[in-house]
Amino acid sequence: MKRIKLLFFATIRDRVGVKSVELDVADDLTVIGLKDKLSTDYPNLKESMKSVLVAINREFAFDETLVPPNAEIGMFPPVSGG
Amino acid sequence: MSSTLPTIFHITESEIDLNDLLAKITLTSTGAAAIFTGMVRGVTSRGDAHETEYLEYEAYVPMAEAKMKQVADEIRAKWPVIEGIAIVQRIGKLYPKTPTVLIACSAAHRDTGVFDAARYGIDRLKEIVPVWKKEISPDGAEWVEGDYIPKPGE
Repeated sequence: MKRIKLLFFATIRDRVGVKSVELDVADDLTVIGLKDKLSTDYPNLKESMKSVLVAINREFAFDETLVPPNAEIGMFPPVSGG
Repeated sequence: MSSTLPTIFHITESEIDLNDLLAKITLTSTGAAAIFTGMVRGVTSRGDAHETEYLEYEAYVPMAEAKMKQVADEIRAKWPVIEGIAIVQRIGKLYPKTPTVLIACSAAHRDTGVFDAARYGIDRLKEIVPVWKKEISPDGAEWVEGDYIPKPGE
């Protein structure tokens, strides 16, 4: 198992209901595995997981990326700054 | 050498000070600066016409600042003549007419890409910098949806 910290922003945070959560997850968990897990643990997020952006340690990450231990994972919608 | 050139990038909750930022990116060799500033639009006529009471901006601050630095690095790679760069995004509750973002680039002359660099900066910030805005209007509150999906390596 590995510990990871998830940070939620914007619509994702509104649907989860919290700003962050710490989880213990399987050592071989990938980004797509994390999305599947969150869809199950937080049914409100299921729809959002289709378009969510994921960052691992402040870099954009993609479905096949392995989640490293102690990772800081950002989950958020496409950005709308400026 | 680019290590001595002013490169400013940050998220702020304070009022954006255009004069201060311009002064910081002006060297003795500078002859031109292109400054873009975006502000909260109170009345929107294009597309879905509506009024805005205020916007609420939030950011994933450490990643936003890292990505703002990346935008500055990309500007330097594309326009090596650029001297100073300032990229500032304000967050919090912001009312119409309030500046929300500033991108400023300086150079010795105006004809070697300084306007293009500033334009690139704002367009690129809107693609990859993790900031989001929520629109509060007479009809309620709604997050503004971005439409850019970063690709691997971005």
